[in-house]
Amino acid sequence: MSFGYANGRKIFNNLNFSMEKGDRIGLIGPNGAGKTTLLHLIMGLLKPDSGEIEIFGKVRKEDRDFTEVRQRIGLLFQDSDDQLFCPTVEEDIAFGPLNLGKTHEDARIIVRETCEKLGLNGYEKKITNRLSEGEKRLVALATVVAMHPECYLLDEPATGLDEKTTQRLLNYLRENTHTYIIITHDLGFLKNVAEKMYVLSDSFIKEL
Amino acid sequence: MHLEEFAEGNSFFHRLDPRVKFITIIPYIFVIAFMKGLNGPVLSLIISLVMIAFTGISIKKLLSRLVVVNAFVLLLWIFLPFSYSGTEVFQIGHLKATREGFLQVLSITLKTNAIVIATIAILGTSEVFSLAHALVHLKVPDKLVYLFFFFYRYISVLHEEYIRLKRTMTIRAFKARTSIHTYKTYAYLIGMLIVRSYDRSQRIYKAMLCRGFKGKFPIISHFHLTIADLCFGFLMTLITVLIAIISKNG
Amino acid sequence: MHISEGVLSAPVLVTGAVLSAAGVFIGLKKMDYEKIPEVAVLTSAFFVASLIHVPIGPSSTHLVLNGLLGILLGWMVFPSIIVALSLQALLFQFGGFTSLGVNTFIMAAPALIAYYIFAFPVRKTNHFLCALAGFGAGVTGIGFGALFAAAALIGTGEAFLNIAKVIVVVHLPVMLIEGIITSFCVIFLKKVKPEILEVNR
Repeated sequence: MSFGYANGRKIFNNLNFSMEKGDRIGLIGPNGAGKTTLLHLIMGLLKPDSGEIEIFGKVRKEDRDFTEVRQRIGLLFQDSDDQLFCPTVEEDIAFGPLNLGKTHEDARIIVRETCEKLGLNGYEKKITNRLSEGEKRLVALATVVAMHPECYLLDEPATGLDEKTTQRLLNYLRENTHTYIIITHDLGFLKNVAEKMYVLSDSFIKEL
Repeated sequence: MHLEEFAEGNSFFHRLDPRVKFITIIPYIFVIAFMKGLNGPVLSLIISLVMIAFTGISIKKLLSRLVVVNAFVLLLWIFLPFSYSGTEVFQIGHLKATREGFLQVLSITLKTNAIVIATIAILGTSEVFSLAHALVHLKVPDKLVYLFFFFYRYISVLHEEYIRLKRTMTIRAFKARTSIHTYKTYAYLIGMLIVRSYDRSQRIYKAMLCRGFKGKFPIISHFHLTIADLCFGFLMTLITVLIAIISKNG
Repeated sequence: MHISEGVLSAPVLVTGAVLSAAGVFIGLKKMDYEKIPEVAVLTSAFFVASLIHVPIGPSSTHLVLNGLLGILLGWMVFPSIIVALSLQALLFQFGGFTSLGVNTFIMAAPALIAYYIFAFPVRKTNHFLCALAGFGAGVTGIGFGALFAAAALIGTGEAFLNIAKVIVVVHLPVMLIEGIITSFCVIFLKKVKPEILEVNR
């Protein structure tokens, strides 16, 4: 698959990458190598110039092909402020499930369960805007978790977090998820969470 | 940025249903805005003051807010007394200050403050987000309300970006003067702020798509009318009708 | 340029409210749900920018930038400005809810005029003409804003004639500064991120 931005910057040239269910992958690489771009291509937020993307055994081309992908794969954004656009924590977590056609009653239950899983009890009515950076990251993760994805894509989840919050995040990943790609610059963190490591640079991806 | 300083508290007004607040305050403030003479404005200012007394808002904070609002009114005090014909009060040069002029500007001052104080007492005592929520239930177009939600949500985020940009200017020895260089620098600062806000909006939209956004926003309702709300609604309606009648006859 | 509550007469308040309601209605029609984040976050940026005070001789003025906003948003400038002014009315009691319609019109209508005259040259012409169009948009935004504010006051009563004149005169230097800043701004945007100038397409 190849991809370049409209401003002429080429990112990938005949890139080949695949992952299986149960893979816990760490992805590292210099700034601008295209780590985030890769995750956005997987979610169908960007479209490749050439080549193809196959997810869950089906080739995905059009926007509607990705509707299913977006339900089954969850992306945690680098900046939590991008992801938390609703007024309150509760509404933010419920946004995804409600879009998937859940009733308000079900959505409420999902909100409660998700908060419990991530140790966010009592945060439901809080205004997202006023949370600390660490709390925002956990709530952002909660909005992804609430959609019960089979696979997680985590874009620098530990950046800017203190030790304790990082630990909470780690514990959650270890105990509740099986398949994910984590982007990070922190090799120490990566050793704790990833079984396979890939380096992305100069439009190549290779396993370490 | 701390914006909602009056919303903290637990008075009767803080607990009222925001939907009732809108339904009652809109007629109230418009009746005041349409008033002429002095009777109605005096009466409504007293009513507004009684309301604010119930909110427990500190007088100091209230006054600091009123000073700003009355800046425009002050301008009127300089010009309006000289702009009406009638009984002369005093004269500067060939400018005549008249009793009619003073009464007119006094009426405006009373009205302005009556409306502003009522707005603080009734709307200022609610969280902005819950007020916006109430608007959805009052059939304000949902696009407008969501525009408001997103807009308010990202003010503080962009304000932080602005502070960061400003800091990089300061450490590079920028000092604001009346000069093209200053205006150009501010223009680039604003341009950068706009670029960042645009990029951010693109990422927000992507995050929405990832969570299955299909062009509609689900609404969670959490308002419940209480007896107190109904009583307040009834009382305010009565007051509004009364002051309307009094100002018409007075 | 905000006119406080309790000043304007009933006919002026109602006229302003009706005109702005129409503008908001058309603006919302042109704004799909997908556009909401874009318009909203841009509005946040302009709200923050309006807190900036720039020096002007011994005094200073805060920026309005409605001409620039108009170029970017077209008709969507009406919804954008009404939400910003609502928040100001709510939090700072600037303007206020009874005069919300009039104040929205005072800022949004000049922005729309700037859009119809200057959006095309800003997008399509060379560096120099683009700068000139930006200047024009800044001047138009403030200039017509001051004129509409003056008209609202004079419409309330002839006694307001002198204040109306003062308002127009004090806005003359502001017009110049907004013109200069808007001019540099459109050049910056055209260089750095031209797609922003296409938001309302």
